[in-house]
Amino acid sequence: MAVNDNKVENKVETVEKAEEKKPELPNTKEGRLVKELLEKAPYAEGSVRREKRIEFKVPAERIHEFLELASERFEMLMQISVVDWLKENQFELVYQLWSVSESVHAFVRTRVPRENAEVPTAMDIWPVAETYEREAHEFFGINFKGNPRLGPFILEPREYEKHPLRKDFNTLSYVKTIYGDDFDRYDESKTNYVI
Amino acid sequence: MGEDFISYELKEFKLFEPLFRWARKKSIWLVAFCTGCGGIEMPPLFTARYDIERFGMMPNPSPRMADLFLITGYVTPKTLKRIIITYEMMPDPKYILAHGSCPINGGVYWDSYNVVKQLDKYIPIDVAIAGCMPRPEAVMDGIQEIMRKIESGEADGWKRYRENYEWYRKNQDELFGEGWREKDAKRWLAWL
Ligand code: SF4
Repeated sequence: MAVNDNKVENKVETVEKAEEKKPELPNTKEGRLVKELLEKAPYAEGSVRREKRIEFKVPAERIHEFLELASERFEMLMQISVVDWLKENQFELVYQLWSVSESVHAFVRTRVPRENAEVPTAMDIWPVAETYEREAHEFFGINFKGNPRLGPFILEPREYEKHPLRKDFNTLSYVKTIYGDDFDRYDESKTNYVI
Repeated sequence: MGEDFISYELKEFKLFEPLFRWARKKSIWLVAFCTGCGGIEMPPLFTARYDIERFGMMPNPSPRMADLFLITGYVTPKTLKRIIITYEMMPDPKYILAHGSCPINGGVYWDSYNVVKQLDKYIPIDVAIAGCMPRPEAVMDGIQEIMRKIESGEADGWKRYRENYEWYRKNQDELFGEGWREKDAKRWLAWL
């Protein structure tokens, strides 16, 4: 087994290295999709992760332009997820697109600084983006320029102010102030630790 | 004296109390309001596999005609508002059965910003089942326990709620902020 695993790893490494040397994309439908998009948008980086899964990195200034291009082949926006890179002081937005005609899932990643994060809305491309943008705005405090309905959505108002999914949100102290700290779970000496 | 005595006893439900208790125990209607992961146990509980109808219980979508409220799992402040209003709509006597460790002390969400720890501070719980998540057998065991408590008169959550209403109300107001009934509950219950 171990030998086989090693072989597989080696293979993967060699493949990656080969890709790094010459950025030629595999001659599959995924590779062709990436190539086609990159020809139109040379500012982006693209790669094939695996079967049915491709990935793009786009600078934040040109994200709207890129999404507009991508929407020709990717008819569906499935999710806008946000990653909080605290040390790098950046938010990473991942637009997850699905191509109905090609059955390919694309990640479009872009990074914005954490302070006053702002991105143009994708509502004019996929109307469904409204909901995802409201959610990202509520949980991380990212502003989507052009989305008219940003504001408190799912959370209680006091949580909305704090953006609870940011990595520097101190959950435990928040819980103690809101729900009271009279539980043995919060015993600092852990003599009565329940979990 | 005889007539007075009987009418007094009838008025206070003392004479027939054992009979009423037995009848209550044998005909529990429960509110089918799935509040958390535990809701997934309710279908097997109600249907052919564990068939709780053989205990005389019936899932009932109307709180106005229910006796037992199943809190099936974690409770967020938003759900808790609905739970409190639903609970207050139920006629006395009413009982609460809490599933799993989340209503007891937050369970796995003990440090989560949106899960209420210690549900017992906001509404009275009669029986709590430990476990994450309790199997339908454990839920049935809890139901047997609540039946025993109804018959012996130990299930007095509705009385506690009445007697200590100030305390419960204070805790609720602390969590939701003053005037939440007017602000939030009015939006979904016009008559409040
Ligand atoms: S106790 Fe476990 S199963 Fe029940 S609501 Fe909590 S997490 Fe879910």
